[in-house]
Amino acid sequence: MMQSSELTTKAKEYLRIAKVDLVIGYLEGTTKDRRRAGFIRSAEEADNLVLDERCEDNLAVYLVKENLLARYKKVAIFLNPAGIRTINVLASEEQIEADKIVILGFEITGGDVRILDGESVDDFSELIAQLKLKAFDSEQMADVDEIDSLDVDKRFEYWRGEFSKCIKCYACRQACPMCYCNRCIVECNQPQWICRSAHTLGNFEWNIVRAFHLAGRCVGCGNCERACPVDIPLMKINRKLGKEVLDRFDYFVGSSKDQQAVLTSFKQDDPQEFIL
Amino acid sequence: MADNFEPRIIAFVCNYCTYAGADLAGTSRLKYPANVRIVRLPCTGRISPLFLLKALQKGADGILVSGCHPGDCHFISGNYHARRRWSIFRTLLDFLGIPKERIWFSWVSASEGRKFADLITEFTENIKQLGPFTQYDKLIKEMSE
Repeated sequence: MMQSSELTTKAKEYLRIAKVDLVIGYLEGTTKDRRRAGFIRSAEEADNLVLDERCEDNLAVYLVKENLLARYKKVAIFLNPAGIRTINVLASEEQIEADKIVILGFEITGGDVRILDGESVDDFSELIAQLKLKAFDSEQMADVDEIDSLDVDKRFEYWRGEFSKCIKCYACRQACPMCYCNRCIVECNQPQWICRSAHTLGNFEWNIVRAFHLAGRCVGCGNCERACPVDIPLMKINRKLGKEVLDRFDYFVGSSKDQQAVLTSFKQDDPQEFIL
Repeated sequence: MADNFEPRIIAFVCNYCTYAGADLAGTSRLKYPANVRIVRLPCTGRISPLFLLKALQKGADGILVSGCHPGDCHFISGNYHARRRWSIFRTLLDFLGIPKERIWFSWVSASEGRKFADLITEFTENIKQLGPFTQYDKLIKEMSE
């Protein structure tokens, strides 16, 4: 706890010396066990900031909403490793300018908050390289492998059950830092690619498209799954594709801010064993 | 059922290679099953995964996606991009329970009329064995209830 207050003090100091003009951090939520995002503009307000093991949400999502960055010169933001990788992805996709962001990095491990050294996104490249080495190990992939081991009809039934719960609220989309399109494909109706009402067929299609648009872009922050009001295990799909991209193309999402997206680049000798 | 089942197969092909290959199959008087409906697109890079979803939604039993061999793309790199996209997309569909066997990918050049005819014959036989694609039908029925 001692340590985590160090980071909120740092945020306060940044505002005091006007190093940044906005801090995005965590505040007490409406109930004791929840935290919500706070947008802090003065040093006095910064006293309300909290940082503990409940601060799970990836706050980077707010950087791309409502053109927020255009209104501030520099923004400090509390980010965990997935959040830091988000900055890399958004910078590589030219959605944000990485040098406007001051990172207040932390990591939650087993209920403890650990402060990460560094300020700009490049300071964390070593950390991210380490993450890549242990990404998608068998422990993390146990639930995915379990689905993979079913035969194809059973898999369909499993997902049919899950997707039938979907109410098409698109909370997964809104909570996702990578889903920043002004006009989402589901809002296009000429042609109508995806059925709009919340029946299972349309839900299936929506979830296929959502997952595919995040292939090679998802950093695994888990915002979508936490936002889902009916608890669809979306991260199972995201992790499956994340591992696929890593295994097939040696691509770890958000490794640097100059990294080209996996689906907009290619190598001439990409694997093609499935093509006749 | 299985005996008189005629599968509906949609082939998304690129204009410069596979479509020309299909054309060659025709002008060479090669026979292949009439189950295939060919949709011609400028390039495999133009084939959005949404097309495949739509085809399944509208009752396709099998889908073939075919374009130029690597290095032959009229637009230099369209097929390279498409190749990455497909490889991820088919993994995704498979994980969600839509059988891989129903979506085939191939490279067919403008001179490979024989390959095209053989491919369609083989694919149609395979889909006949598999039977109709019913997973989506269930969902569509749920929809109208």
